Amino acid sequence: MDQSNILTRREALDRFGAGFGGLALGTLLGQASLASESPSLTGHFQPKATSIIQLYMHGGPSHVDLLDPKPMLTKFDGTAPPDEVADDENRTKNLMGSPFSFRKCGESGLEFSEIQPFVSQHADEIAVVRSMFTEHRNHEQAIWMAQTGMTTAGRPTLGSWMAYGLGTENRNLPAFVALPDPGGPSVDGVRNWSSGWLPPRYQGTVFREQGSPILNLQPKQPRSAAIESARAALLRKLNKQHLTGRPGELELEARIETFELAGRMQLAATDALDLSDETAETQKMYGLENATTKSYGTRCLMARRLVERGVRFVSLFMSGQPWDTHSNNNSGTKNCCLRTDQPVGALLTDLKRRGLLDSTLVLWGGEFGRTPAAEQRGEKASYGRDHHPYGFSVWLAGGGIKGGQHYGATDDFGYRSVENRTQTANLHATILHQMGLNHESLNWHHNGRDERLTDVYEAKVIEELLA
Amino acid sequence: MNSFLLRLIAVAVMLIRLPAPHHAGELLAADDPKAELTFENDILPIVKAKCIRCHAGVEPKAGLNLTSPSSLLTGGKSGAALRIRAAESSLLYEMVSSEKMPPVGQKLTAAEKGILRKWINDGAKGVSNAATLDRSDDVTDTDHWSFRPPVRGAIPSVRNGERVRTPIDTHVLKRLEENGLGFAPDADPLTLLRRLYFDLIGLPPTPDEVEQFLTDTQPGAYERLVDRLLADPRYGERWGRHWLDVAGFAESAGILNEDRALPLAWRYRDYVIDAFNRDKPYDCFLQEQIAGDELTDYWTAFETQDRLPDDVVEGIIATGFLRTASDPSRPDFSTIKNAEAQYFYPTLFDTLQIVCSSTMGLTVQCARCHSHKFDPIPQVDYYRMQAVFTTAYRPEKWIPQMNRRLHIASKKEKEAAAKHNAEVDANVKQLSDEQAALKSSFAERIFEDRLKTVSEEVRADVSAAVKLKKEARSEIQKYLAERFEKKLRPQDKDLDAALATYDDFKKESATLTAKIAEEGQRKRLFDEVRALYDQPGEAVTPVLLRGDPLTPGPLVQPGVISTLTTAKPFEWTTPEAAAKTSGRRLAFARWLTQPDHPLTARVMVNRIWMHHFGTGIVATPHDFGVSGASPSHPELLDWLATEFVESGWSIKHVHRLILTSTVWRQGSRVSAEHRSACEQIDPENRLLWRQALRRLEAEPLRDTVLAVAGTLSDSMHGSGQAVARQKDGEVIAMPDSQGPNRRSIYVKILRLNPETMLEVFDQPTIAVNCTKRSTSTVSTQALTLLNSDAMMKAAAAFAERVLAERSDDPVGRAVLIAFTRPASSDEQTLLSEFVAEQTSRYLTEKAEAERQKPQVKAESHRKAVADLCHMLMSANEFVYVD
Repeated sequence: MDQSNILTRREALDRFGAGFGGLALGTLLGQASLASESPSLTGHFQPKATSIIQLYMHGGPSHVDLLDPKPMLTKFDGTAPPDEVADDENRTKNLMGSPFSFRKCGESGLEFSEIQPFVSQHADEIAVVRSMFTEHRNHEQAIWMAQTGMTTAGRPTLGSWMAYGLGTENRNLPAFVALPDPGGPSVDGVRNWSSGWLPPRYQGTVFREQGSPILNLQPKQPRSAAIESARAALLRKLNKQHLTGRPGELELEARIETFELAGRMQLAATDALDLSDETAETQKMYGLENATTKSYGTRCLMARRLVERGVRFVSLFMSGQPWDTHSNNNSGTKNCCLRTDQPVGALLTDLKRRGLLDSTLVLWGGEFGRTPAAEQRGEKASYGRDHHPYGFSVWLAGGGIKGGQHYGATDDFGYRSVENRTQTANLHATILHQMGLNHESLNWHHNGRDERLTDVYEAKVIEELLA
Repeated sequence: MNSFLLRLIAVAVMLIRLPAPHHAGELLAADDPKAELTFENDILPIVKAKCIRCHAGVEPKAGLNLTSPSSLLTGGKSGAALRIRAAESSLLYEMVSSEKMPPVGQKLTAAEKGILRKWINDGAKGVSNAATLDRSDDVTDTDHWSFRPPVRGAIPSVRNGERVRTPIDTHVLKRLEENGLGFAPDADPLTLLRRLYFDLIGLPPTPDEVEQFLTDTQPGAYERLVDRLLADPRYGERWGRHWLDVAGFAESAGILNEDRALPLAWRYRDYVIDAFNRDKPYDCFLQEQIAGDELTDYWTAFETQDRLPDDVVEGIIATGFLRTASDPSRPDFSTIKNAEAQYFYPTLFDTLQIVCSSTMGLTVQCARCHSHKFDPIPQVDYYRMQAVFTTAYRPEKWIPQMNRRLHIASKKEKEAAAKHNAEVDANVKQLSDEQAALKSSFAERIFEDRLKTVSEEVRADVSAAVKLKKEARSEIQKYLAERFEKKLRPQDKDLDAALATYDDFKKESATLTAKIAEEGQRKRLFDEVRALYDQPGEAVTPVLLRGDPLTPGPLVQPGVISTLTTAKPFEWTTPEAAAKTSGRRLAFARWLTQPDHPLTARVMVNRIWMHHFGTGIVATPHDFGVSGASPSHPELLDWLATEFVESGWSIKHVHRLILTSTVWRQGSRVSAEHRSACEQIDPENRLLWRQALRRLEAEPLRDTVLAVAGTLSDSMHGSGQAVARQKDGEVIAMPDSQGPNRRSIYVKILRLNPETMLEVFDQPTIAVNCTKRSTSTVSTQALTLLNSDAMMKAAAAFAERVLAERSDDPVGRAVLIAFTRPASSDEQTLLSEFVAEQTSRYLTEKAEAERQKPQVKAESHRKAVADLCHMLMSANEFVYVD
């Protein structure tokens, strides 16, 4: 760093890094600031994983129908729950067994319900945490807990923390990419990839499936190459002349670089999302030929291509909140699986055969689970399950996770997490740990204190989950 | 099998896992929904049976005594044993349900767990608020500089006084000289002009304004320009926006995905703009925002005046400041369990955070959960300040946000209107009845007319049958009715179509419809204000242990931060029972705005300074506490703060002081010698040896693009421009009746749909408030500038403008407009060549035959000029201010 730097370190960290790059664990400004340097930095300790693919399941998937078999529910189907597990808000009534049979899968015998025939093939790679609990039974606040570590609004999402902590390994692509459903926004919209009070550069960049992958990557009215390059050349001259009169203004140089990066990104992003160079077999595996699986399959395949190119964190979303099965729980849950199971299974297969699964942590889960008792609306077939924060399941695979196991347990009815109760902060600490980050050291000074993802929680890395 | 038996079996099955006896009596107690569980009758027996060996007596284990209901909230070493109405997150329940407790001996039976759970979830009857607070962490040391009143010192002496224009200069130069440094030369006039425009109104000068300034060679020209810009109404739009940041202004309710629009929020925005334009004294500005209703005695005016006086209306609008916190509440929230804890208290927390960070630069929110770790802010003081607002924001009696509003009307007006409107309603009803009667008479006519189509033999029989009541019909009549009724009598959905064929009906009905509409127009409706105002009656304000509304502690009375040294204490007495408003907020506002309050003036002058220099004298404008930054010029800060107060809290006075100073007028471009000498000692320019190069914030940038394009509307005030998310994800402002493009302060701020260009250039997405903006430098900004539709349109309009204004020299004109300076001759050559070459590039993309056509040539030229304009607007010189 030369003497002409007149910015404070924090300001520089706020501003630079070629827009998308990463920063910084209290390390070198020199590395983080200038866009021409690769901004990727080392973490607190040797990482097991270098990328994360987050399969966020909006609405709260029904744990007792997917990952947490409860024979007692089936046995006492249709009867009022005992007081110990009665709905505390009297919104659900009789216990409702899952209509789906559970099977022991893989060598490990980890149980999955029958509606996940593809994902369950990877049982030996997957660790199911069955003892999650959260602090709010409303979607938004529970989403914030899952994504930002607390039930209050305005905090940075997990992906933003990764972008801040680790940057990107590809200077032409963002560190944190969000893949929303072209069918419509998810519940909580843009907050799903917000950087909160971290600087805006750490927010997720939306990549789209169709058309130009990033907003304004290209003009709506295309320009010829000759026109485009003449414009760029003029801008370069104007900026160069301006800079000549202002030597040492780092920020001006950084902004000039953002224009250069924008140009490189046009190529890199377009290439990353060009699925046509995937084999027919691969496309088929992800379900791209099938109308039901095509949309999610496309995003799964995009996710693989992005992590392959060094993107740090990719979040996949579905429109609305499809797992929110207040009515028709059984068909609703099954339909979600029909849309996602094959693509997710394909993603795991594909990552594995390309040798990427070891370095890619795959996260699956939503903001809460669903009640063991039925929300009774209309006919029995249309019964639903309500939001349920007291016990639910998520799963992790790859990225140094010890698969073929479940961790923790809910009670006999799937109501409450009772064994190895897992607060969100423990899950977050574990995820950070796999990426080589210590949850207590990844801080950002805000509002007079050093804030972190796990905030005030006494979080611990779940050693049992680690390979 | 009945459910009771099933339940027994369910319990029995659980008992297989946890063999323990159970008593039918216990089971029944938990089972009967009517039985109210109490600590004495239901919980104490369980505690005595299973817990008393450890958790009782003088030294209970882990400090937790379970035999006394009052100690359950205080809890032990691990915190509260229970959270009221939240068994699932109560430590006591967690310990027994996971069977960690009791560690030895019999676990609780399923039935006992059920009883415990139900008792807690039903409100833990018998448990009272925790009686004591742990105050061991309280910091009472008030040694911190910002907790003592500012002291106006003597103006220091300096060695090189010739560049000193104001006392500010003396203070700054003193520090520079102490370090062997000095001022940079003044910036050149055009640079100053541009900087001044952006600092004060957020827009560049027009070519005419440049001309005007350059030709005013009389002494005092610069000062006159400062005054002119301070008097420009666009000043309020620029500086009002700064205040809206710290106020956390948004026009949607937040929290929930529905992000409900707040259609009344704009009045507060306009109040802020006008307050800055009128240079409303800052103490008054704060008093109105915190207690405008009490200050102007809204309730008396409401009860006694014919109409609300303007100052009262302004007062209640000003309290919109206290309504910026996210508040998603709706009437149906009353059915949500623990809605106070989940929704209502958070609004109260955010409000206090906004009030304290904006006016006092303190991070009081830390003290919500525990006494502040760094600052002398005891937890109890946080709740004393919360009590200032709990007569208005009552968690236990919450008013849904859309219903929390006042009308711009006196009681007399409202009563008169109610009477008047009742008459109108009666008239409308009468007219509607007439219309209904008309309809049925015509329906009858339709029937009669249609009856004529029935063959004559049966006509009378059919008519008789249809006219009879169903049950009175004979078999034959039933048959006839069934056969003909539908055809003859138009059903509701067909009736209108059938009626439309009768011209006389149409005419009469239209007359009635018009009358109804006309009558309806006479209804007297009043404009509504999104205000904060008290609810009558005493308020209860508990300290919340660990900030948790479900573990309430001792009650407190309104108060302030006890460790702040003020000449006048917080003075408030309980009003008489019938009082409409408690006076708490006014007492707080008066305490806050007393002349030598340690923080109020300092924090505001620091903000003003920050917006003129890029960095505040205290670099952490939101944190004047122990962990905030130290002031770079403490004496100057105090001098400015006292000067501010002495000027009658005039913000414009502070602007004048700053803008006429040498410090502010320094160039940002300095010689290599000056730079290297200064950077050796002060690389961050904290001593102000030059002015800073600053990037335009989102709003002035967007406004400037529109202004140079000539498409910016100057219409002020009123409901903002709507925004809409496009299919491609871009959120844009939608054209409305006030023009296609208004200044960005008039673009609606929706928390979940921020306007894309503003968001990309760091307009804050409001969660609580924004006390200091980020300035990011990212590629999405480059992409937005280069490729967005808005920029393409602006470039085309800019090109049209320069071609219309100076067809002989569009290039020179464009540079002047965009950069506030004439083009150099080198630039003129470079840019003219670009236009010529780009024109021919566009031409070569046309078919050979087309190229010679004059309109094709002109079009290509226009596109080339548009490209030039576009690149000027994307250039660093456009985006940065020297």
